[in-house]
Amino acid sequence: MDTLDYLFQGFGTALIWYNLVFAFVGVLIGTAVGVLPGIGPMSGVALLIPVTASITGGLPPEQAATSAIILLAGVYYGAMYGGSTTSILLNTPGESSSVVTTLDGYQMAKKGRAGSALSIAAIGSFVAGIVTLIALIALAKPLSAVALKFGPAEYFSLMLLGLGAVSGLAGKSVTKALIMTICGLLLGTIGIDSVSGIARFTFDVPWLFQGIEFLTIAVGLFALGEVFKTILEKEEEEVHVAKINNLLPSKDEFKESAGPIARGSILGFFVGILPGAGATLASFFSYILEKKISKNPSKFGTGSIAGVAAPESANNAASGGAMIPLLTLGIPGSGTTAILMGALMMYNVQPGPLLFEDHPQVAWGLIASMFIGNIMLLILNLPLVKVFAKIIQTPKQFLIPIIIAISIFGVYAVQVSTYDLLLLLGCGILGYFLSKHDYPIAPIVLGLVLGPMVENNLRRALTISNGDFSVFLTRPISLAFLLITLLWLIIPFLMKRRGKEVIINVEG
Amino acid sequence: MDIKFDRIASVLFLAIGVLFIIGSRNLASTSYGSSVGPDIFPSILGALLVLLSIRLFYETFVTRGHQGEREKLQCKPFLIIFLATLFYILTLETVGYVITTFIFLFVCFQTMERTNWVKSLIISACFSGIVYFLYVQLLKGTLAGWPIWF
Repeated sequence: MDTLDYLFQGFGTALIWYNLVFAFVGVLIGTAVGVLPGIGPMSGVALLIPVTASITGGLPPEQAATSAIILLAGVYYGAMYGGSTTSILLNTPGESSSVVTTLDGYQMAKKGRAGSALSIAAIGSFVAGIVTLIALIALAKPLSAVALKFGPAEYFSLMLLGLGAVSGLAGKSVTKALIMTICGLLLGTIGIDSVSGIARFTFDVPWLFQGIEFLTIAVGLFALGEVFKTILEKEEEEVHVAKINNLLPSKDEFKESAGPIARGSILGFFVGILPGAGATLASFFSYILEKKISKNPSKFGTGSIAGVAAPESANNAASGGAMIPLLTLGIPGSGTTAILMGALMMYNVQPGPLLFEDHPQVAWGLIASMFIGNIMLLILNLPLVKVFAKIIQTPKQFLIPIIIAISIFGVYAVQVSTYDLLLLLGCGILGYFLSKHDYPIAPIVLGLVLGPMVENNLRRALTISNGDFSVFLTRPISLAFLLITLLWLIIPFLMKRRGKEVIINVEG
Repeated sequence: MDIKFDRIASVLFLAIGVLFIIGSRNLASTSYGSSVGPDIFPSILGALLVLLSIRLFYETFVTRGHQGEREKLQCKPFLIIFLATLFYILTLETVGYVITTFIFLFVCFQTMERTNWVKSLIISACFSGIVYFLYVQLLKGTLAGWPIWF
């Protein structure tokens, strides 16, 4: 069967009524997550994993995995839509990838053009979403065919590249990011070793034998950490929502933003594929690009529509692009995709080159549902923008405790253990202190998810070579990956030495 | 950047790295006929962590700390909510989901802001009731709903 047949089958899966409902709920919650400052896509997805796990409990395993991932991916790209709303109306970005949008978006809102800014952002996101999906479909098969030829040595080096790239761009200090990555990998070694079957670092505590559950760590570090931060650093801010009138942009505005949307989509897509560089970087780059090629750059920052269209298309394109390494290679390039991967693995679906052969229903169902989800988002966002703008006014008094309650319920529903809840609370505190002191937390989750796979490939490669480490250097592809990893870590370091500002990716 | 935090953290990470190396030394090498045992990966990681924490310790001396202005932290509400969460977790299995969640939410709502008595009562009752109903009755999930002595 060729790609088109698979795609049609995927649509068949995605159009089943409950999958439509899942996609709808996903993008709806995603938009809300994007609008609410304080909950980013990462904590949103992490919080919803247990909830979806219990809802899909009644379905056969493969269908449950498809439905769950449809919902979770919906939250991910829905958040990219929602983030723009607060940036434009309130001048406070709902998540880090729409920071750039505030520059021109809020200025437009001040001038009474909030409506056209919002709709251009929604249209740009939609176009970008479709462009990346087409690219994803075109690239998925060839990429996984290449990846199938990889041996354990190549895989090990490729995963190192992924981990290194995320650490190199993750925070202010590469050292701290690397420490966090290693901590994540070490956490992954706790429990029963899958190769030899002996217990490692369990100290005979039965609870530790099954290993540290990634869900507990992710929810604790991201969701609870963020909640504790909001409680501790309470700030009273005047919420002043700009008025929205005439939603449809004028013809001139359309013309002006067509180019930026196209360029933003393509640029964002390629930035998204790169591991470590996510939606935040993509939106920065596309804004800078538009400013460079614009005829009058001085207009940027005063309410130029190109300054809204480009970054908003780019961040949505990047979130689609980030799905490519996840689905075809099994390597998540960012914190959120790491969490999505963890979710897939909870359903015993291993992302990677074999995904398209072993679980075509999951892979193509997800791709088709992203088409449908993007259309839903466009329809939802244009008329309902005013409703979403209201969500911002949800009083923190009720929001914060309910997030804690949902985290506890979610983790307990999946793990049914008080120890996990205590670990959750501990991770919440840890998450707050770590991120307060510039220790990025996404690498921990990435390390925890990738850890067992890195180790298995390392040991397989070493077993084949009889314990000879040079196998990673003699195989050309593996060597290339290792060299790129090294460069990725060293170049930002050297640039900092020279006193250049390095844009880093903050995802939260 | 708080230098003191980084210094303490680097020492802690160093300790973790050393402990992992010692821990993997004690693992029996159970893979027969192969030198690649379960201890190899954690010991490499432990060694890397030791190196990185030494580097972090060194960095705390090189970079000059700009002591930022101390922002006021809302310690009291945080402590109350933290203790409430701890209490909630510890009593969840014995007292049951519905009652503990109701009390926990109500306490937290009132800690966040001491207004809206009635609204807080209604929301916490609705949340605990609806979640319990949906999860246990509709989805047949496992959740201790009511006190065990009930």
